[in-house]
Amino acid sequence: LAIDRNTVLDIIAEEALVERSALTPEATLDSLGIASLDIISIVFALEERFGLTLEQSDFEDVQSLGQFVDLILDRAAIEQL
Amino acid sequence: VTRRVAITGMGCISGLGQGLSATWSGLVDGLGGIRRLSRSFREEGRLVIDGPAAVVAGVDGSAVEAHAARRVMAQLDPAAAYALVATHEALVDAGLLDQPKLLAEASILYGGASGGNVTLEEGYARLFANGQTSVHPLTIPKMMPSATVGQISMLYGVRGAAFAIASACASSAHALGEAMHRIRAGRSKIVIAGGADASITFGSWTAWKALRAMAPDACRPFSRDRQGMVLGEGAATLVLEDLDHALARGAPIHAELIGAGASSDAFDLTQPDGVGAVRAMEEAYADAGIARDTPCLISAHGTGTPLNDKVEAQALRQFFGPHIERNIVIATKSAHGHALGAGGAVELVTGVQALANGLAPPILGYLGPDPDCGLPLALGEPQRLHAETLVSNSFAFGGLNSVLIARRAR
Repeated sequence: LAIDRNTVLDIIAEEALVERSALTPEATLDSLGIASLDIISIVFALEERFGLTLEQSDFEDVQSLGQFVDLILDRAAIEQL
Repeated sequence: VTRRVAITGMGCISGLGQGLSATWSGLVDGLGGIRRLSRSFREEGRLVIDGPAAVVAGVDGSAVEAHAARRVMAQLDPAAAYALVATHEALVDAGLLDQPKLLAEASILYGGASGGNVTLEEGYARLFANGQTSVHPLTIPKMMPSATVGQISMLYGVRGAAFAIASACASSAHALGEAMHRIRAGRSKIVIAGGADASITFGSWTAWKALRAMAPDACRPFSRDRQGMVLGEGAATLVLEDLDHALARGAPIHAELIGAGASSDAFDLTQPDGVGAVRAMEEAYADAGIARDTPCLISAHGTGTPLNDKVEAQALRQFFGPHIERNIVIATKSAHGHALGAGGAVELVTGVQALANGLAPPILGYLGPDPDCGLPLALGEPQRLHAETLVSNSFAFGGLNSVLIARRAR
């Protein structure tokens, strides 16, 4: 199953209960109200959907949404090699 | 100083609908909220729910989310979702929603029989039915019995003592009794108290069936040929408040909570012995400082099981003696089902509504008298009620008893 930016954003909106339209690359996770438990839920949903195994600790220092999504796509690509 | 305790806010969601007015009008119109429920686990037919139940048809969390300014409902176990909508209604009613300072100083005592059953079973289904090896990361914080308390605290900024009380089907009644004592002791001016449960799941249904406690068609408290209980679900929240504090801020006074009694049978895990029930009533009356000949509305535990109702009827006759005849006995589980840990709170808010409206809602499903249950029952049309005092019984598995006494606001 191919992973792409739009699907990742859909999952983030769904799991963190934030509006999809608020998910701009510059937005910080803080400003979106995405807390550590939300990140855990998002990572879990991505693993479920794409059969990945991601390390929660990779996402600990992420600040902006753009960084977060880039990191997810990066890790997923490595995983799916 | 003897501090008096007022009920200044009430909220409820049950199989009769969302909002206390929906539950109250459902009780008075006599239609009831018990319907046949038929569900099959993944259409396999191996695990089924098939029988009467009083199910919450839907939860409108828009007011809660507007207050939170974010979406929260979708992340909650149903028990916590019910707790939040009932609590929101109670806080609006009490005029506290825009009083962050008062909310910050308040406490929460909330009951539940078993926590987030839906969440627990979703996790188990993955592990044991799907062959998966992981569960949703929020499984623990959603299923813990105190999840309701944490959610109420976070959403409304309540920073005082807050914890859950578990005593099966008396959980919220015990929570309300302890909340009253907390205010009397001067430890809180305001306590948010009540209970929630959402246990109509395949596992829970199967377990209740194994106990042979469930009726095949209807809940018929104190009736001949009654065959058992009917599962319900929901939540009720009350705002209990130091009466002087409530009067000073001009809060609505729905009733006063004037007494609580609690006892344990030390007898059997599921069978009541009646002695403990009488002792709980004795303690509640002594606590309230009222005489047994005071006319009252009795909201019975009244589950509709053959033994429970018989033992409760005997306990009531023993406690009240000849004075029982001046009282009226209601048993609203016949309409909203057995809401388990939420039951005591649901029955307190509906009992207070009965006092306020001067109406005793009828017991549904009644087929005729049982000589073992000779009580002045509210039957047929809603009866005119002149009593100013409510006695609400909750007698739980494990022989854990709670009796609450409220008085109409004067």
